[in-house]
Amino acid sequence: MNPGMKLFLVILIALEISFTENLVVNLILIAVSFIYIIFQKISFKAFLALIFVPLLPAVAMFVSQLMYGTAGIGFAWILFTRIYAYVFLGATFTLTSNITDLALALEQDFRLPSKFAYGVLATFNLVPKIRQQVKIIKTSALMRGEVLHVWSAKLYFKAILSSIQWSQNLAEAMTSHGFVEDAPRTHYKVIKITWQDWSLFIGSIVAVQLLLFFIRN
Amino acid sequence: MDKKKSRDTWSLRNIILVALIAIFCGVIFWGVDFIYNALTALLTPIGLGPAANDILMGLWTMAGPLAGYIIHKPGAAFLAEFLGSGVEAFLGGQWGAATFISGLVQGIPSELGFAVTGYKRYDWVSLNLSIFFTVVITFGWDMIRNGYSKYHFGLLIALFVIRYVSTFIFGGLLTRAISKMLDRSQILPNTAA
Repeated sequence: MNPGMKLFLVILIALEISFTENLVVNLILIAVSFIYIIFQKISFKAFLALIFVPLLPAVAMFVSQLMYGTAGIGFAWILFTRIYAYVFLGATFTLTSNITDLALALEQDFRLPSKFAYGVLATFNLVPKIRQQVKIIKTSALMRGEVLHVWSAKLYFKAILSSIQWSQNLAEAMTSHGFVEDAPRTHYKVIKITWQDWSLFIGSIVAVQLLLFFIRN
Repeated sequence: MDKKKSRDTWSLRNIILVALIAIFCGVIFWGVDFIYNALTALLTPIGLGPAANDILMGLWTMAGPLAGYIIHKPGAAFLAEFLGSGVEAFLGGQWGAATFISGLVQGIPSELGFAVTGYKRYDWVSLNLSIFFTVVITFGWDMIRNGYSKYHFGLLIALFVIRYVSTFIFGGLLTRAISKMLDRSQILPNTAA
């Protein structure tokens, strides 16, 4: 499916279940996403993470509703399953799409200006370098006997200094590779919205509406 | 280029700068995940697990006010906050699809703070407006999404106050401290332009 469309679909469904309180529909969404994910050949480790990482906040929410809530255990279960529905729905997108295809789709099919698509894409590819830079900043502070915490202004100050410098370098690098802002582009990899995309999109939305309409708790 | 145009249009360089700031913040906050989990685990037995979210809210909503305060352009705060959420989703954050929605819910109000001043003020006032909108709108969202609306009134007030204090410390005081350092270094690209 077109990655841009898939993202919108997932966001729309997640939004909808945020406003509806339907335990069965939450469970169905989890089950469907679960089956979809199983067919995607993900690693066992990623799979375990998917199941256990949301457990703590989900339990926290559940206990809290029981102790301080006024809506009873039914609502607590809805919140519990809602978190899992978010995470599993999200996984159907993040495990099957990569950021490059998403950027290309948003540029080609959703009229996102190319400077945003490629600028952000280029920056995302710097994530490993950014991680390393944060380590360098912290370590060099340590060498001066200074510990930088998440609340230390200096840590952010230095990160922003790097950002200013890197943004200049990266923008120049892109320009020297032939990227021209606001100029029309041709595409090596064309990503289109096909009629299958549309039917899957509309079909899923309609299916969720029908489920919400016909299944009452 | 006339003045208005250069203020409002985005150059490739500025887009990259906002994205970099967002990702740097995301990477720095990465280390906080274990604090969040530890807090949640500690508070859950007394039924206050969700408070961990409010305690750390300031961190998660900090990239927006910070970027808006530094890069004087319409959309900077929103973009930083939303991109931050995108990074989190792709790097395997905890919240799946909800992360993108959180990005919107946090990005829009932090932008609103600068927007209501007509993008004329980038000071303590607009920063505080940004914080105010962020707290109110994200809290309203949690009333719906995380079932806060079903809590007793006392707990609701307590969570709101915790969230406000957290957002004020990180989005307000810390952001101001950072920008003071930047002012002293005279390196900011957009204060002059």
